[in-house]
Amino acid sequence: MSNHIRTGIEEPDRKMLELYYPEIAEITRTKQITELEKWFEIALPGNRDLNHQPGQFVQVSLFGFGEAPISVTSSPTKRGVFELCVRKVGTLTTAMHKLKPGDRIGIRGPFGHGFDLQKMEGKDILIIGGGIGIVPLRSLINTVIDRRSDFGRFIILYGAKTPGELLFKDELKSWREDPTIEYHVTVDQGTPDWDGNVGVITTLIPRLDLNLGNTIAAVVGPPIMYKFVLMALKSKRLPDENIYLSLERRMKCGVGKCGHCQINHSYVCQDGPVYHYPVIKQLPEAIQ
Amino acid sequence: MEKFNLSTSRLNALIKHLMTRGIVYAPHKNGEVSFSFDEVRDPGKVILNYNRTLQSIKKYFLPPREQLLSFSLKSGSLSKVEPENPLRIFLGVHSYDMQAVLRLDYNFSQGNPELNYLKRRQNSLFIGVSFEPDTYHFSRSVGIMVEEFDGFDLFLDKHSSGYTLYVVTQAGEELLSGFDHLEEAPDRPATHREFRNKIKYNFNRLSEVFDHAWDSSVWEEIAQRCVGCGTCNLVCPTCYCFDVEDDVNLSLADGSRYRSWDGCMLNSFAKVAGGENFRADLSDRQRHRVYRKFKYITDVTGEPWCVGCGRCTAYCTAGISIVETVNRLCEEYEQTVLRKPLAKQDWVL
Amino acid sequence: MKSDQIKPNKPKIAFFDFTSCEGCQLNKLNLENELPDILRHVELVEFREAMDDKADYYDIAFIEGSLSTPSCINRIHDIRRRSNILVALGACATIGGINSMKNLQPIETVRETVYGEEKYRFPTLPAIPVSAVVKVDYEIRGCPMSIPEFLRVLKALLMGKAPNLPDSAVCVECKLRENECLYDRGIVCLGPVTVGGCEAICPSFGQFCTGCRGLVPNPNKDAMLDILTQHGLSLEDAQKRFLLFNSYNIESKSIT
Repeated sequence: MSNHIRTGIEEPDRKMLELYYPEIAEITRTKQITELEKWFEIALPGNRDLNHQPGQFVQVSLFGFGEAPISVTSSPTKRGVFELCVRKVGTLTTAMHKLKPGDRIGIRGPFGHGFDLQKMEGKDILIIGGGIGIVPLRSLINTVIDRRSDFGRFIILYGAKTPGELLFKDELKSWREDPTIEYHVTVDQGTPDWDGNVGVITTLIPRLDLNLGNTIAAVVGPPIMYKFVLMALKSKRLPDENIYLSLERRMKCGVGKCGHCQINHSYVCQDGPVYHYPVIKQLPEAIQ
Repeated sequence: MEKFNLSTSRLNALIKHLMTRGIVYAPHKNGEVSFSFDEVRDPGKVILNYNRTLQSIKKYFLPPREQLLSFSLKSGSLSKVEPENPLRIFLGVHSYDMQAVLRLDYNFSQGNPELNYLKRRQNSLFIGVSFEPDTYHFSRSVGIMVEEFDGFDLFLDKHSSGYTLYVVTQAGEELLSGFDHLEEAPDRPATHREFRNKIKYNFNRLSEVFDHAWDSSVWEEIAQRCVGCGTCNLVCPTCYCFDVEDDVNLSLADGSRYRSWDGCMLNSFAKVAGGENFRADLSDRQRHRVYRKFKYITDVTGEPWCVGCGRCTAYCTAGISIVETVNRLCEEYEQTVLRKPLAKQDWVL
Repeated sequence: MKSDQIKPNKPKIAFFDFTSCEGCQLNKLNLENELPDILRHVELVEFREAMDDKADYYDIAFIEGSLSTPSCINRIHDIRRRSNILVALGACATIGGINSMKNLQPIETVRETVYGEEKYRFPTLPAIPVSAVVKVDYEIRGCPMSIPEFLRVLKALLMGKAPNLPDSAVCVECKLRENECLYDRGIVCLGPVTVGGCEAICPSFGQFCTGCRGLVPNPNKDAMLDILTQHGLSLEDAQKRFLLFNSYNIESKSIT
């Protein structure tokens, strides 16, 4: 065997071995926050920081069940551990709901692009979260809260189908009570004990008084929400350049290879999940 | 470039020589009318005069199903699985399939380079062979000549009385060392090889055509004939999308994570766990498939990601032709963009 | 199997047969190498082909065969009530299968042809898949059911997860195995619109796909008929190809 023959491809870098190998992390705390959503606090080996940006995701492995992309819900200002909030929708997430503190999971990432904090500094921040869209937004919200003086006005709009589906209720209360946060919440369908707004999230937008040139909107929600929120922001005359949104797609690899998350020429796992709206306008498949 | 005469009768001797240097893969008969690349055991069974293999040599670098890691459910421990890479010699590769490998090299070395692919790819040598284009080949339309040497270490050009063996790289020359009695070949006029299947436009103009093709009725028309079986993806030498799945063994104590080829034409390709399918219609999937070959990566690299092998068309039971599709788009481009006065939206910006 | 050998926490599984050839059940007994491993994980409480124990509750009930008599309907409701997870097994149970060809004729004609003068003693109904009557949690397709798929589903259920079963065509597995396409041999095949998961076992041995695993979701029926007729079948023959296993779907959902 003539191994001295040189072929075109050089010896691959050993670091590439890690592309698909998760790191084993430990669940340190859990909380069932609604019937469908469970919160997890997770520690990487040696309590190393995840070093993520708000809006990024990790690939969570449950061996035997597979791997799924999950948004990080804690802010990078929280050190030593990070948090996920998982809705029970598929095989992996259903299995994940059965996990307890002390159980181990695989983590790859963080992957993709999150919210560009540098572009947000000094600006008024308008958060628009629908349903579980609040999960990745919470990472941004808590970053703004922890670095409050770096940002201007802070407006949070949050909508859920029913009061029972509102997540992070303790934190919602503290947002409402915080005099530096303009917090508005609405539900599509009220209950007898609900005395807040009833109606879809877009109904909260017209009444906002925004400093248009200085406001950055961060929008995350179900696919159907984007079209209407974008229309409402347009009629508010918020420039497109001031809008960021996060897209959900099927993902298998998280590293721009498997092809599942592709929207036109863009890979959500690489260029997203958080996109600048002017970029999305160039992607006809992004919002239908 | 050095070149030698190789008579057809010495071909088996060459293959035997190659088998002493590494594992040799070459086209063999598969079924009644088809061919496939297989490991050579008997040089007499190698067929160099073939139209195309069912699968390209991609299968050796990105296997249809591949173990990524193994795990123990009890201890929660992981084991890494690293591909082996003995010296492998691919004999009888057509230029379009070689070009496809070079395109995959780009996909797996850019961004996040992937060890699994690059490791397998590392110790590979390629010996090309010329071919007579059939009614499906159109590689010339995407800039790939039959005698394109790029990527090859050696190249066999067939002519009426045997082969001319071109030594393309240093590695190719080393591969021949010990194979004696090679006689220098004279210069010969290039063999004329006609491609009957052609894309109307030079591939450099296709990006512009695709700028105007998004809303074409072609997508809906081909979708009406398409059953979404995914064959076009699964035979394409530059398709590399994959699915990943865990499998446990019957003891339920340990298992492995596997990846396998997937295709954007398949129903669940863009479906998320919540049930939303982001490319539910066949027309959207057909459009995505063709844009991936002619627009998305092409705008970055300048090269079509379609190599003109003709497989997607030859193996489509519905007879959907990628050349016809692209030619229809070219015609629509001529009629609606080139011959039409500028529409309002074109000059407003 | 003696009861003292049964561990208390093992899931109780049962197999029931309805209108079928029982080939799927026999197929399971062919799992000689895997059976000891399987029996380590489960308690087998009902399996007429192999034993006669009975139980009141089943963690997983596997149902073979289509439903084709009034008594079938009562029995399947009863099994469903007593089962946590119900899995339809094989072509008859999942899509009606060959039995459902009887649905192409008036039921009285069928009854008279089969039972003649005794027909009043044998009430009969059109042959329907299990899912037409009760909720089916998972389906293991094929005639006979595919053993690798059966093991895949069983392993998933024992791990407490939903089995991940393909919804793509048989063609996918032919391509992964690098099979010569039967169309290239001039043989028409239902692979392009039949759900895979069988590892393309028939085309791998040169036999065309008869559609025993049912049609892919949202099949493009017109396109498939065009393919069959362009490859030499008359429209009538093309439609008949589907009727062998898919009469129920075609009759009840007018797929062709």
